[in-house]
Amino acid sequence: MQVRISVRVLLIITVLVHSWFGAAYAYAESTDDPDAKQIVDVFQAQLLDAMKLKTYSERYQTLSEPVLSSHDLTFIIRVGIRNEWKKLSKPQKQQLVDVFSRLAIAEYAKHFKDFSGESFIFDSQEETRQGGIVVRMRLLLNEDEEVKFSYSMKKRRGAWKILFITAKGVNQSLVRTKEYDSILRNEGFDTLIAKISGKIEKYSKQ
Amino acid sequence: MTFYTRLHPNTLNTRSILILAIALLFLSGCASTPVNDQEITAEEINIDPYEDFNRSMHGFNDSVDDYVMGPITNAYKFVTPDLFQIGVSNFFTNLGNVTVVLNDVLQGKAQQGAEDTGRFLINSTIGVFGLFDVASELGLEQNQEDFGQTLAVWGVPTGAYLVMPFLGPTTFRGLPATAVDLATNPVTYVGLPAVQAAALVNTRASADGALKFIDDVALDPYIYTREAYLQWRNHLATDGDPDAEADPFADFEDELFEDEDLYEVEVKLDQNVDNNEQDVTQLQDNTELAEDFLELKPAEIVENTDSIDIETIE
Repeated sequence: MQVRISVRVLLIITVLVHSWFGAAYAYAESTDDPDAKQIVDVFQAQLLDAMKLKTYSERYQTLSEPVLSSHDLTFIIRVGIRNEWKKLSKPQKQQLVDVFSRLAIAEYAKHFKDFSGESFIFDSQEETRQGGIVVRMRLLLNEDEEVKFSYSMKKRRGAWKILFITAKGVNQSLVRTKEYDSILRNEGFDTLIAKISGKIEKYSKQ
Repeated sequence: MTFYTRLHPNTLNTRSILILAIALLFLSGCASTPVNDQEITAEEINIDPYEDFNRSMHGFNDSVDDYVMGPITNAYKFVTPDLFQIGVSNFFTNLGNVTVVLNDVLQGKAQQGAEDTGRFLINSTIGVFGLFDVASELGLEQNQEDFGQTLAVWGVPTGAYLVMPFLGPTTFRGLPATAVDLATNPVTYVGLPAVQAAALVNTRASADGALKFIDDVALDPYIYTREAYLQWRNHLATDGDPDAEADPFADFEDELFEDEDLYEVEVKLDQNVDNNEQDVTQLQDNTELAEDFLELKPAEIVENTDSIDIETIE
C-alpha cells in the first residue's frame, strides 16, 4: 500500500512539475522570442512595403536592415563554400561576407518591385529532425499565378534566422554558393569579388 | 535552350536521339579520364567529371539559343496572342500526359495514374484536343512524371551530370530515359514538320522566363544551371519528399562540429546608394557555432557601429 501511495504521489509531483515548467517555458517562448513564422511575417511585410517604392536605391535602403536581421548570411556563405572558406584569410572572409550581404539586399531590391497587389499566404510550418523549422508559403502574384516556396530556419543566438529559401526543390542559396565555390577554385578570390561587385553595380543601374 | 528537357523532356526528334547516341559513345570513350585535374571535392567528382566537355556543350547550346531559338521564340511571342500561346502549350502538355500516365503505372502510383488518365481524357474531349485545360479547373492538377523519375524510383543512381548538344542538361540516368520518354510521346510520331517545329518553339517559349532569370542572376551560368537542374530533378524523383527538403542543412551539422574556425563576424554595410547613406550594423557571433545549432548555448546578437570585422575568438 505504501508503495502504491508513493508511486501515485510521485506521479502527481511529476505531472505538476512538468506542467509548471511547461507553462513557464511556453510563457517565455510567447513573450520573449518571436517565433520563426513571426520573423517571416515581419520580413515579408517589409518586403511588400519596399515593393511600393519607386527607385532601386529606396528599396535597397529600406530592405537592408530587414534582410540582414532576418537572414543568417554569414552562415550561408560559409557553409556554401565549405572547404574554400577555410583557405581564406581573415580580411578575405570579411570582404566576402560584405559583398555577399550587399548582393543579397541588391537582389531583393532588384526583383521585388512594381507592387501590384501581391501577397504572401502561410501554408504550414513544421519542425525538422535537426531542430530547425520549415515555413511553407505562397506568393500570390495575381488571381491565377502563385509561387510556392519555403523558408528553412534555425535558431541562432536566441533568434530564428532564415538560412535557405527553396522553390520547386531548388535551394537558391546553395545554388548560389556552389557558383562561388567553383569560381574560388578555378578563378580565385579576386575574380569572385569582382564578379559579385559587378552584379551589384549592374542591379543598381537597372 | 539549356532548360528544354527540364521543362518538356518529350519534345525531341529522332535526329536529336541520333546525336545523343553519338555523344554517348564519345563520352564512354573518354569516361575514364576526368578532365579537370584541379583540386575538386569528392562530391563534385561524382557529379561533374566531364565539366570541360559539358561547358563546351553549354556554350554551344547558348550560341544556338542566342542566334536561332531565342530570336524565333521572341518573334513567336511577339506575333501570337497570349491565348494562342496558352492553347499551344496546353495541347503539347496534354499529349505529354500519355508519358505521365505510363510512368505513374511503372512507379506504382495507382491513384495518381487514375487522376492523370482522367485529366488526359477530359482535356482531350471537353478541352478540345487539349487546347483548353479544363481538368485543372476541376481540381486535377498537372503532374510531372517521366522515365528518369521512374528509374530513380527503381533505384538507378543519378550518374554523372551531362550537357548534350541541343538537348541541354541531363545525367547518365536521364539520357537513356529521354529516349524512352520520346518513344512514349505521341508528338514523336507526328510526321508534320510544322508540328515538330511548333513543339520546339513552345518548349523554348516555356523556358524563356527561367533562361532570362539565369542570365540575370548567375555569376557562372553553367554552374548555376547544373546545380538548379540537379536539385530540381532530385525534387521530382523524391516527389518533393519533405524529409529530403525540410532540412537542407542537415548535411552540414557534422561538418560544423569539426570546424575549428570560430569567428566573430561583424557586418556593417555602408549603403551609399545614390548619395544616400545609412549605416546598418549587424554583429553575427559565430562563436561556438556547432553548439549554437543544437541550441545548447544560445548567444546574443549584439549591434555595433564599427566597420566590418572578423576576429578570431581566443
